[in-house]
Amino acid sequence: MTHSWRRPQIHITGALLLAAAFGAACGDPVAEKPIEETDGPGACVPTRQYFNDEVWNPFMSTTCFACHNAQGIAASSDLVLQSPNQTGFLDANLAIVGDVAAFERDGLSILLLKPSAQINHGGGTVIETDGPEYKALEELVRQLRNPVVCENTGDDPFVGVNLLDNAGTYRKATLSLGGRLPTAEEHSLVSSDSAADLDAALDGLLEEEAFYVRLKEIYNDLFLTDKYRNGRRGTELIDRSRFPTALAYEADFPPQADRTPEQNTQFQRIEARTNAGVSQEVLELVAYIARNNKSWTELVTADYMMVNPFSAKSYGVDDIVEFADAEDIREFKPVSIPGYEHAGVLSDPMWLNRFPTTTTNRNRHRARMVLKHFLATDILRIADRPLDSAAIAGLNPTLNDRTCTVCHANIDPIAGTFQNWNDTGAYKPPTDGWFGDMFQPGFKDETLPFEDRLRATNFLGERIAADPLFALATVHTLYKGLTGRDPVGAPTDPSDPAFASKDRAYTAQDAVLQDIAAAFIDAEFDIKVAVKGLITSPYFRAASAQDALLSTDNAAFLASLGTAQFLTPELLDRKIEAVTGYPWKRSGTDPGRLLLRDDEYRIYYGGIDSDSITTRITAPNGLMASVASRMSLEMSCRVGPRDFVELPENRRFFPLVEASFEPEDENGFAIPAAEEAIKHNIVHMFARVLDQRVGLEDEELLAAYDLWRAVWKDGKAKILAGQELADLNPSCRVERDYFTNVDLEESKRLRRDPNFTVRAWSAVLAYLLSDARFLHD
Amino acid sequence: MQRRDFIKIASACGLGVVAPAAAAPRKDALFRDSALYDGVFYVLVNASGGWDPTSLCDPKGTLDSEEGVTSANPMNKSYLQRDIGRVGNLSYAPVGGNAAFFNKYGSELLVINGIDTSTNGHDSGSRHIWSGRLAEGYPSFGALVAGARSKTSPMAYLSNGGFDFTGGLVAPTRSGNTGPLARLAFPNRPDATPSSTARFHADDSEALIRNAQRARLSRQRAKETLTAYSSSFGLLFAARTGEAEVQNLTTHLPTTLDNSNNPLRRQSQVAIAAYKAGLTVAANLNVGGFDTHSNHDQNQITALQRLLEGIDFLMVEAERQGVRDRVVVVVGSDFGRTPGYNDGNGKDHWSITSMMAMGAGIRGNRVIGGSDARHRARGIDRSTLAAVESGGLVLRPEHVHHGLRRLAGIDADPIVTRGFGLVTDELDIF
Repeated sequence: MTHSWRRPQIHITGALLLAAAFGAACGDPVAEKPIEETDGPGACVPTRQYFNDEVWNPFMSTTCFACHNAQGIAASSDLVLQSPNQTGFLDANLAIVGDVAAFERDGLSILLLKPSAQINHGGGTVIETDGPEYKALEELVRQLRNPVVCENTGDDPFVGVNLLDNAGTYRKATLSLGGRLPTAEEHSLVSSDSAADLDAALDGLLEEEAFYVRLKEIYNDLFLTDKYRNGRRGTELIDRSRFPTALAYEADFPPQADRTPEQNTQFQRIEARTNAGVSQEVLELVAYIARNNKSWTELVTADYMMVNPFSAKSYGVDDIVEFADAEDIREFKPVSIPGYEHAGVLSDPMWLNRFPTTTTNRNRHRARMVLKHFLATDILRIADRPLDSAAIAGLNPTLNDRTCTVCHANIDPIAGTFQNWNDTGAYKPPTDGWFGDMFQPGFKDETLPFEDRLRATNFLGERIAADPLFALATVHTLYKGLTGRDPVGAPTDPSDPAFASKDRAYTAQDAVLQDIAAAFIDAEFDIKVAVKGLITSPYFRAASAQDALLSTDNAAFLASLGTAQFLTPELLDRKIEAVTGYPWKRSGTDPGRLLLRDDEYRIYYGGIDSDSITTRITAPNGLMASVASRMSLEMSCRVGPRDFVELPENRRFFPLVEASFEPEDENGFAIPAAEEAIKHNIVHMFARVLDQRVGLEDEELLAAYDLWRAVWKDGKAKILAGQELADLNPSCRVERDYFTNVDLEESKRLRRDPNFTVRAWSAVLAYLLSDARFLHD
Repeated sequence: MQRRDFIKIASACGLGVVAPAAAAPRKDALFRDSALYDGVFYVLVNASGGWDPTSLCDPKGTLDSEEGVTSANPMNKSYLQRDIGRVGNLSYAPVGGNAAFFNKYGSELLVINGIDTSTNGHDSGSRHIWSGRLAEGYPSFGALVAGARSKTSPMAYLSNGGFDFTGGLVAPTRSGNTGPLARLAFPNRPDATPSSTARFHADDSEALIRNAQRARLSRQRAKETLTAYSSSFGLLFAARTGEAEVQNLTTHLPTTLDNSNNPLRRQSQVAIAAYKAGLTVAANLNVGGFDTHSNHDQNQITALQRLLEGIDFLMVEAERQGVRDRVVVVVGSDFGRTPGYNDGNGKDHWSITSMMAMGAGIRGNRVIGGSDARHRARGIDRSTLAAVESGGLVLRPEHVHHGLRRLAGIDADPIVTRGFGLVTDELDIF
């Protein structure tokens, strides 16, 4: 059922680069640092960890960071540290500390001389030369010259965490990514404890169309372009001065007032199909890159966009792209529009309109979204430190006042790379150049070359793709999609009593996610490698913790493990059909699914409409519980009896019993064989619905059996007393085909339930369909 | 370590562990109404995007009409200083619907000016205003009071957006279309009309199923060793405890919900009905349109008018439902807007802002705090709470929240003191 986790080997690149930087700055030859051997568990502490544990957390994050930050009074010094709110802060800070430490006077690093005021230090003496902080810095300086790199730190934080076995992991993955249960062949393949077998099975799963649908869902939570899914909301956003054929289909019809009903129907059909192409082009790019195993960096660098047969006409490229079926709105093809400044998502009119700008915002909103979507950076969190409005003075503070530049130095250069796109996402390079009163267009320390100004978004996309944070941002996005949770953030308050626990949780998770990001990069940005890395990680597979882990020190760490995701409307919708074989609709012939319609349960169940409601509710409330209750009561009523009309070998829920099986005869004497069959069938139901193995004497088996028996006895007694009908409730009778509503032949019908056994079985099915394990991932 | 101790520690760490609920209710308690909430209803109205107090309750104006035309630097181009409106002790900008609102509600209204949010980021500003803490981790006031007063109510905290972080205290509920509500209120009825006799499962069978569900969920929570699962299962347990009470909501909702372009109206109708039904302790109402980086006067004043009309609608609806005397309304926004205008006639982000409040237990016709001519916060006298010329205590959202907690009587509640205490001066604000 469960097995243990072994962390992959840590990466040494950062540490070796540090050594190189240190050596170069000192003018010394770069020391070739051997990987240290470990004498046993815990013997080797890599420099990065030493920096975190002995320097950053104990004093540098407070004593030094108070002034040495982008807003602090030492903002103009060579030592400007990043806040823990900034993704990758630890590596960035270690790097800048390494740069500073490389400078020496009389053989002593200024990292030691400055804070101890042995040479001039604006902050005076902040650490004593005989204190523990000084000793820690001395050791850090020594290690920066010769970074400690460990092949195995001997410190596996996941010892004592029980993980799902291969079969459990794969079932969870198939439901999450494939919207189905594993096939018998797959179940057989993953029954071993072999990582290679699980990997092979996952490879197959990630080739399925359902995976790409799921991937689009995950990315729509970020891009929110489904806002334009209805009507002609997407098509209307196309720049008609450049694409005069955007609404060309209108010319094929008379004005609305003059259209016949048939013409109107046809018009609406074409309008919807065109909009389906336009509004989905961003998410179809996501699917296309994944489906074709292309580099995920094409998300921001692709020199093409996706069109379907209808949107191809709107963009005027229907003559240069071929479709297998000109009527298939789901057939998307990549196309490079001649002269268009393609840069993947960054140049797409849907994304640009979803995150619009104004004349005074100057693309800063778009820049913020770039940082959030592709660089794992919530820029607004950097400004969480209190600011003093009275201190903001002078001209143009966003360029000149460090209270503002802490964010604007990051935002404004990126904003400038969107200079060629106007507020409605049309390519309109500014005739008078970009604003001179902002940080100049560029990316981080690099300024946009003048000759690149007309392809500024391409410049941006190329820089994003080359930034290590792009891979980490992708892993973060997938992590949120697969677990429903944001990655653990670094703790920021060392005075918090739980700081050590939170730091451990952050450090452990950050290491795993960084490893996955590194593997993703090594695989040339194959998104499936990142997905598999997350699925096989302890954060997806954690099932329980051993007693030894249940301590105060581990509270935050334990809280970070496992998914425990209350299923989204989309995930629950697919799981219902996967497990029961039937979708949850008002009727089988109704095209709409109750959990996917905004005017039904999607919003109540915590879903989003990508417009005004853009964040999911992840904790169940009373209405969400009501939705789940109704689903379980309704689906068990409609689906349970249908299972009994199938041959036993074709049944999903009741293969081991018949409706005639009762555990007692009319005189109250036990019928052991029937009771045993009923219990065996409940065992089967636990496995099918919940993937839970229960034995015949298990507490859970007996509780479910007690429910069956109580419902049966109560109902049967009421039938005998004339208080209950021997017929099934009308909603539960099997008389018509579920999907077509066509009358079934007599042998396939079920109307009577004279012993109340069918209803007892439906009750057990309702019990399992409403189970916390069914409703959570 | 005992599980109970572990959960206690985890909760103190802000890990969102929901404390074990009381013993599971008996079968006959499934449709009880004895736990319906009838205390004060807290309505938090969020002007999303950062409103301009100088166009509302902390007016500055322009010295003369010439300055408004020729200078980019006047505080408000839309009105002159001499035209500032006054009602009792309150002042208001003479624009939009301000005069009507202040004349109608001035005697009940408390205005708090010169609040320093210490940020001009939307997320952090909204968080500071509605949780009382700039840093992350504290729940909104609505979540806090809902968690303290009636955490097991199925809709204890109704949110229409804005800052609604709950810290695991209570699950927020989002209001959607009301059509399916009847079906959710009666989940075992194919036809959700109250008189319908059709059922998916016999009533007694449903009761047996629910009892078995509840017992299993208790066992599952007890066995879980991963906090993520025990916390999630705890929230599900709490949600189910009052699930049946949702049907009360359907009896109080208006037959037809407002469908105008002012979202506060519809939100108010659902919120008041949910409170009237005994399901809701606090509600976030949310309206946007305040991030006026361009064409400030036109857009901001329009947004403010929509806001005030929405609050008026809320109060009228509360009166209609007979609960007006039990409603507290608090109005706030992410932050304020810069003194003076940018090149696009807009105003950017400014960390000084205001809040307004009225309702049960709040003394009206009062102004606390203030700002100078360029909308910089002025300190206050700790006893009179009036703004002083120099020195004094700078008002922060922490002070307001300390007062709100006292007003709600939850300042000593263990939920508040164990994990979400505020270290700040105690001021007699409300």
